[in-house]
Amino acid sequence: MNIRKKTSKLALIASMALIMPIAIYADGDPDAGKVKAQVCAACHGQDGHSIDPTYPNLAGQHESYLVKALADYRAQRRVNPIMGPMAANLSDQDIEDLAAWYAGQDGLKDLSIK
Amino acid sequence: MRYLTIPVVMLATAGLLLSAGPARAAGDIEAGKIKSYTCTGCHGIPGYNNVYPTYKVPKIGGQNYEYLVNAMKAYRAGERDHKTMDLQANSLSDRDIEDIAAYFASLGSD
Repeated sequence: MNIRKKTSKLALIASMALIMPIAIYADGDPDAGKVKAQVCAACHGQDGHSIDPTYPNLAGQHESYLVKALADYRAQRRVNPIMGPMAANLSDQDIEDLAAWYAGQDGLKDLSIK
Repeated sequence: MRYLTIPVVMLATAGLLLSAGPARAAGDIEAGKIKSYTCTGCHGIPGYNNVYPTYKVPKIGGQNYEYLVNAMKAYRAGERDHKTMDLQANSLSDRDIEDIAAYFASLGSD
């Protein structure tokens, strides 16, 4: 094996390492999330369309934003008397599964620039 | 006839009170569309990322009116922490918040 091959192998490993953190968000299993979302449905609806307008719609929300929001509630960076206790006992995997489930539902939109 | 006057006046008063609308102002969609132009700089670019930490800027088209009003007021009051949103919300009046929320909420129903 010459130097050049070694270098390209290193480059490949380095570039994979760079891509890896992105894959964290892709780990969520929407089917598992659907099952775990049973308790959420009481407020956020079966498919993420909330039952009361004071609760946010979650259907179609970006997966990474949902992960961030739940992680913030769990860490008390975002303080809410309902969501704090709900998120307190969620694992990282739970959060990713729930986010994957709601992100896959039809609903919210980006604002289109007119 | 005189005996009827009082109930009629009472009914009319009740009707006026009821037609004055809900206690919560609903917000003006058209005004909100103009006032929310700044918001599109982040919320209007599909898949646009927040940096540090990296996550996609939330979709708010079709979000619920009350939730949006509460969220903007929470940023304004410093109860929710996001540098950009705190600054944006600080410049908004209650009326602005209601108008903007009405516009975003109106984009949802399909």
